[in-house]
Amino acid sequence: MTDEELMLAICKGDQSAYQAVVKEHLKPISHYAYRLLGNQKDTEDITQETFLKLWINAATWKPEKSKLTTWIHRITHNLCVDYLRKHSRVQTQDNFEEYLVDSSEETNDGNARFTQRDLCRDSEKIRILDSALNQLPESQRSAIMLCTVQNFSNKEAAVIMDVSVKALESIIARAKRSLKSIIRTMADNGNTGELLKKQKV
Amino acid sequence: MTLEDFKQTIESLGTDPAHWPIDTRVQCEMLLESNSDARLLLNEQSELDLLLQKIEAPVFLGLETRILNQDLPPRQQSVIDNIVQWLIPDQLGAQLWRPAVAACLPLVFGVLVGNFFSFGVTEQELALEYWDDELALLSFNDFSSDLDEAEL
Repeated sequence: MTDEELMLAICKGDQSAYQAVVKEHLKPISHYAYRLLGNQKDTEDITQETFLKLWINAATWKPEKSKLTTWIHRITHNLCVDYLRKHSRVQTQDNFEEYLVDSSEETNDGNARFTQRDLCRDSEKIRILDSALNQLPESQRSAIMLCTVQNFSNKEAAVIMDVSVKALESIIARAKRSLKSIIRTMADNGNTGELLKKQKV
Repeated sequence: MTLEDFKQTIESLGTDPAHWPIDTRVQCEMLLESNSDARLLLNEQSELDLLLQKIEAPVFLGLETRILNQDLPPRQQSVIDNIVQWLIPDQLGAQLWRPAVAACLPLVFGVLVGNFFSFGVTEQELALEYWDDELALLSFNDFSSDLDEAEL
């Protein structure tokens, strides 16, 4: 069944169509929510709420306007952003953003190389990258997740994040510079612990 | 195109040349051919993108079951939706007679209204004038002979 047929069936109350949509989209949605929220409990709650909203508001999806996956990601994004605002986690991230900007300025040679130290094997690099990704501000994490990890086009990601394409491109560029900067700092410190300590202070 | 412009392009649009604007793609390719720093930058960015794609999604055991088992609110359709659903149902058997019934509704409505309201036409008028004329017209009698006699 196509997305349109599934959503039409959901509009009519077909629970098997709902199950099919949940099974298809659960993994990317929970991964996206996890990257934004950073813990398992909140991720599970928001993911559950996302699919509940999908059930309730199925009739409002316009297939000619956006793909189903874009629409569901937008629901998740809005829920996550609301949740983060309500639980005042944004301030902490803003502080860290300042730190990242400073770090980027220090490496203004245009060649912040995260391979410069032949740091470690691929799996270790992924682990460090994973950790670095979690340190980015919410908007930058969203942009990286949507465009690089989940392969949305810039236009689709802009729709999900409710920003202009130009703004999104700027966020992605900043996010990648920040990532490289964090990884370089980690490489300089020799481990990830130093960076995490620095943040908590 | 400068190295900084190129860096901005690959950071914001990715390392796949297909995603670059056509007008800047040629300039980027020219820079890549002539500048080793640009090539190094592209390789680093490609490696970063590749590693980001390798980050695995965490597994949430039991989440699917939890979502599928949650109580979903009953679907509340609008009156119009219900009417449309009734007129154009999914079952094949009901698809013909329901629109036919719906089409008959104005006729039934007209009969009912006509039965209860006279619209200014009284029974006396009906008995003495209207119905006689009506019946005479409907009888298809040949009145031409009467007219001939009257003329004579």
